[in-house]
Amino acid sequence: MKLVLPPRLGPRAFDTALSAFAGVVGKDWVLSSDADRDAYADIYAPGPAEQWPASAAVAPASVKEVQAIVRLANEHKVPLWPVSRGKNLGYGTAAPRMAGSVVLDLGRMNRIIDIDPKLAYCVLEPGVSFFDLHEAIARENLPLWLSVPGNAWGSVLGNAFEHGIGYTPYGLHARNLCGFEVVLPDGDLVRTGMGAMTGNHAWHLHPLSYGPTFDLAFTQSSLGVVTRAGLWLQPAPAASLELVFDIPHEDDIGWVIDTIAPLKISGTIDQNVFIPSWLGKMVLKGQRRDFWDKPGAIPDWRVKELLAQYKLGYWQVALRLYGEDSVIRAKADIVRAAMARNLAAPPAEHWWHSGDERNAIDTTMGVPSAVPLQMSDWVGGRGAHMGFSPVVPATSEHVMGQLKRSRAIIAAHDVDFYASFTIGGRFATNINMLMFDRDQPEQIANMKSLFNALIGETAKAGYGEYRTHLGWMDTVMDTYDFNGHALRRLNERIKDALDPNGVLSPGKQGVWPAAWRDQAKEGRA
Amino acid sequence: MTPIARWALGAALTLAQAGMVLADPPPLPPYQMRAPAPPGDRLAPGRDGKALFENHCGYCHLTFGMGTNLLVKQRLAVGASPASALLANRDDLTAGYVRAIVRMGKGAMPPQTRVDVTDAELASIATWLGRGK
Repeated sequence: MKLVLPPRLGPRAFDTALSAFAGVVGKDWVLSSDADRDAYADIYAPGPAEQWPASAAVAPASVKEVQAIVRLANEHKVPLWPVSRGKNLGYGTAAPRMAGSVVLDLGRMNRIIDIDPKLAYCVLEPGVSFFDLHEAIARENLPLWLSVPGNAWGSVLGNAFEHGIGYTPYGLHARNLCGFEVVLPDGDLVRTGMGAMTGNHAWHLHPLSYGPTFDLAFTQSSLGVVTRAGLWLQPAPAASLELVFDIPHEDDIGWVIDTIAPLKISGTIDQNVFIPSWLGKMVLKGQRRDFWDKPGAIPDWRVKELLAQYKLGYWQVALRLYGEDSVIRAKADIVRAAMARNLAAPPAEHWWHSGDERNAIDTTMGVPSAVPLQMSDWVGGRGAHMGFSPVVPATSEHVMGQLKRSRAIIAAHDVDFYASFTIGGRFATNINMLMFDRDQPEQIANMKSLFNALIGETAKAGYGEYRTHLGWMDTVMDTYDFNGHALRRLNERIKDALDPNGVLSPGKQGVWPAAWRDQAKEGRA
Repeated sequence: MTPIARWALGAALTLAQAGMVLADPPPLPPYQMRAPAPPGDRLAPGRDGKALFENHCGYCHLTFGMGTNLLVKQRLAVGASPASALLANRDDLTAGYVRAIVRMGKGAMPPQTRVDVTDAELASIATWLGRGK
């Protein structure tokens, strides 16, 4: 990729800064070749990856090196874009929001500092992947389970920092974080929560600070570089039962939500219940051209044929219960009776007991896998995806409204509809997967127009996104408009106080430091 | 047939043949552990290529990994055995080809950064995957 320097930095000053970084990490860990820049680009970019170019990457191995790099960034006025492992696929991968930023790749900081099976938590550096942690637990045969996202190639902490979700009782990943160590934008080092006391034993156990609690202010954030964090884990259950309900019709999602959400809120169901539409199963069976050979969205009559042929419902609820056998049986009776009010067919049931194998892709049992990324192959070519991800109250009224609204907009753009609702408790996260071929400009243009329409119409109806791609970070921040965008103004005041040179993640989530606020109009999709 | 080959054939039937409904798809295999990263300096040549392959490429290229699944279809399309979707089973790879794909990407596979896989690690992996050529 061509070299784009940070704004207002000349080539000589840039080289001087990279040399200074090399003095800290060694020249082999300053990555600034054309191939390096390509590797840090957004491989799923809607349009040319050159829209969000990194100028280089630097990879520290320790907290002290992170502090030194951040201090040098201030000295040389070089913007940094910290990533944990840089696998934020669908939301920008490792690429920075502001062109020319230097990626601060924390992938080398991959120590599992502690795993405590008794109190069920671990302490990690940001470079630890879901696979690394899963295997470390398996090798020691510890009674602990992870909660994993669809794409588990990435970082455990990075996913939680971006507010990622999973499909277990620990599925709201940011809520499992407890006690951070953070390098602030001036290079200072702070520990949050009980860790603020030297040698405190409850750092990663008690989730509140003495005084204001800052932990989550460092997630989806540009206020610091988190160099370690505690993470609570699920104790491995004695048993588990999966109840699989095929839900025949699109509009059935209303009663499904009204049935499951109260059970989730009351605690009968403790899992985050994932309810994908039929395309979630079809993407694993082949490419779209195997099922429909025309460029537009698969028409409803053909969808009906496919559902009949492959014995799929429009939705599928694969609900999982965890715990002691007797407790699971009692809960399953309640769930079956509740579902039977609207569905005659009994669920398929799959028991698991401690000591049984867990299969390679069972995300509801915390097994990490990248297989769900296969959906990118659905459209063929250099397949890619983006997620449109609003959050709605977990009632039929709100879910049906969201479904009909996004369905109509997606249909109007002639794109295949693939939605899921994940019931996280009082809310449901609605992820609409939009798949496209990166080498088809007309598909990309259509995708951008579709994405803008979805954001605009959804906000007008009173719902916002929990996360978005680089190209829409400002657009989504604009939708949080109460009292003259008071949230953004608050963010900017804090940002400017802590980071006067704007060296950390300028533009992250639509928050621009004063030093680079003139760049906010660039890089919008 | 080895367990892996038997699984790969099952996966091929599940994944590759649209239009054919399987009454009883094969059970999914259990999670396959990767080898731990071999000890030593990540910038030093000569570390264990097989262990490095499993550790760095195993996210997608072991049994029922995303890359393996996609390659089953590609291998069948060229008349090769589904078992050859596992890169460790391939006998036609060259070190140069492996290096190019890892750094440049291919299809759904993104280019890997030099933090993902260092040049020295890639040299060991490429030599191992291209062994005997």
